[in-house]
Amino acid sequence: MQVFIAQVINGLSTGSIYVLLVTGFNLLLLVAMIIHFSYPQVVVFSMYIAWLVMKYTGNSVVLGILAALGSSILLSLISAPLFQKVMKKRGEVDINTSMVLSMGIGMIITDVLSHAFNNGLPIAFPASLVGSAPVLRVGLISVTTGQVWSMGIGIVVVSLFFLLLYRTRAGRAFRAIAEDPSGARLVGIPLLRTGLYSYTLSGLLGGTIAVMFAMLLGYASPGLGEQVAHKVLAVSIIAGLGNLVGGLFVGLGLGILEALVQGYVSGSWSNAIAFVIMLIIILVKPKGLFGSKL
Amino acid sequence: MASSSTAAPFRGNRGVGGIPAPLLSITSLCVSYGHIRALKGVSLEVNRGEIVVLIGANGAGKTTLLESVLGINAQVTGSVVFDGKSIRGRAADRNVRAGLCLVPEGRGVFASMSVLDNLLLGAHNNMRNVTAHLNRVYEWFPILRKRRDQVARTLSGGERQMLAIGRALMSAPRLIMVDEPSIGLAPIVVNDIFAILKKLNAEGYTILLSEQNAYKALQCAHRGYVMETGLVTLAGSSERLLNDPGVKAAYLGA
Ligand SMILES: Nc1ncnc2c1ncn2[C@@H]1O[C@H](COP(=O)(O)OP(=O)(O)O)[C@@H](O)[C@H]1O
Ligand SMILES: [Mg+2]
Repeated sequence: MQVFIAQVINGLSTGSIYVLLVTGFNLLLLVAMIIHFSYPQVVVFSMYIAWLVMKYTGNSVVLGILAALGSSILLSLISAPLFQKVMKKRGEVDINTSMVLSMGIGMIITDVLSHAFNNGLPIAFPASLVGSAPVLRVGLISVTTGQVWSMGIGIVVVSLFFLLLYRTRAGRAFRAIAEDPSGARLVGIPLLRTGLYSYTLSGLLGGTIAVMFAMLLGYASPGLGEQVAHKVLAVSIIAGLGNLVGGLFVGLGLGILEALVQGYVSGSWSNAIAFVIMLIIILVKPKGLFGSKL
Repeated sequence: MASSSTAAPFRGNRGVGGIPAPLLSITSLCVSYGHIRALKGVSLEVNRGEIVVLIGANGAGKTTLLESVLGINAQVTGSVVFDGKSIRGRAADRNVRAGLCLVPEGRGVFASMSVLDNLLLGAHNNMRNVTAHLNRVYEWFPILRKRRDQVARTLSGGERQMLAIGRALMSAPRLIMVDEPSIGLAPIVVNDIFAILKKLNAEGYTILLSEQNAYKALQCAHRGYVMETGLVTLAGSSERLLNDPGVKAAYLGA
């Protein structure tokens, strides 16, 4: 039982990260109309920037967090005109070109990280960010600072995101574009400008995830983004492409599933087993568990 | 009933000799989709306070014309002047802010969003006085107030059309373009919709309508233009068009 509880806590904290990553991915899919499966690489890049800034500021947590948020928003906004340029036809998701561009961005980031930072070796985040001792320990169950933050930030950010989506002018425009881009244009909603808001928001979200991820893992490596990107893509497809609520459940579900496999079978099998289960789900429900929004 | 605070009827911009300049004036408008030439030099005018109808069969170019005026289509030549200003090539959001709006063919309501959210989308580019506009729309369409928290997918065809018109009113428009409002509606409902358009017009709203249902549309409108494959082939008062032998044969089933 203790193992179970411990692993569920582990799973929920990793799951929070998956949830936010899928949310940012889906936001870009629904509003900017791109498939940005290298979104996690952007997040990992921001982790590196945060690490670098902390390294030269005596491990200042505040500056580290600002650096993560800033670099993620900046990277997102820099890539926006590129995406908007290669999309020949506005008004529908142009999967091919946006995917190629996203892939390129991901590969460049991975290469930059493995050459320009720390000789390509994994980086470790300072204790000022990660925390040193578990905040709670009962028998086999121990909860780290990073886990608490990850779950806490996850809940807060998801709530804020849905508030924005359902209670603000921009959120209304997001939902309109998500449902029917050409219809949205006919009522005078500017697709490109509203798209830019979604790039900004997914950038902000990405920076937040970078901080959470750094606190939870305590380290990062050049290959981390790619590894996570596969999972995020899988989660979004299993949930149903563009299905935000589905992403919440499947993201948390994957986190818990992986943790349970780690706890009861073996850590090295967690990816394979998780992917086999997801493969079965997608064979049974090709449009995802919660239905595709596209 | 409702005051005309959201409409701006018959205001400003006098032409030569005190004659009001048209609210909308289109000259030699050509629009292509790639190699397809959808409009081949259309000229028309809409004066303040008028209901003007575009009559034409499927593919005549009605939707293309309305969308080009709104600022949707890219390959456009000719001139479009709204309220004395050239607006050709200007983006739709700016045109909506300036007082143009479109009730799209097939209503274009957002089925997964609430009635209230759909209405608020109409005010996206004009968020001032939202509450006042909303109350005005609810006065026009009490059913929308009743259904405001329902998602639009649960509305009937007629209610959706009212929602689409209400959403247009939310932008405080000076010209309402309505693309084939009767399409897919039961005859009684069609009568309701045309009655609403006439009432809106009586309140001061200027309306540019497109229709295949020529008889009812011409009964509702002051003037009309007949369009065929991207050209205006006939223009005149509704009476004249209703009595024109060509129009009778082609559009009135006589
Ligand atoms: N998006 C489009 N791409 C290519 N051709 C189009 C498009 N929209 C309309 N057309 C063509 O333009 C012409 C006019 O269409 P449209 O404006 O929809 O006419 P109407 O509204 O009178 O039925 C038709 O020949 C139609 O096939
Ligand atoms: Mg049409």
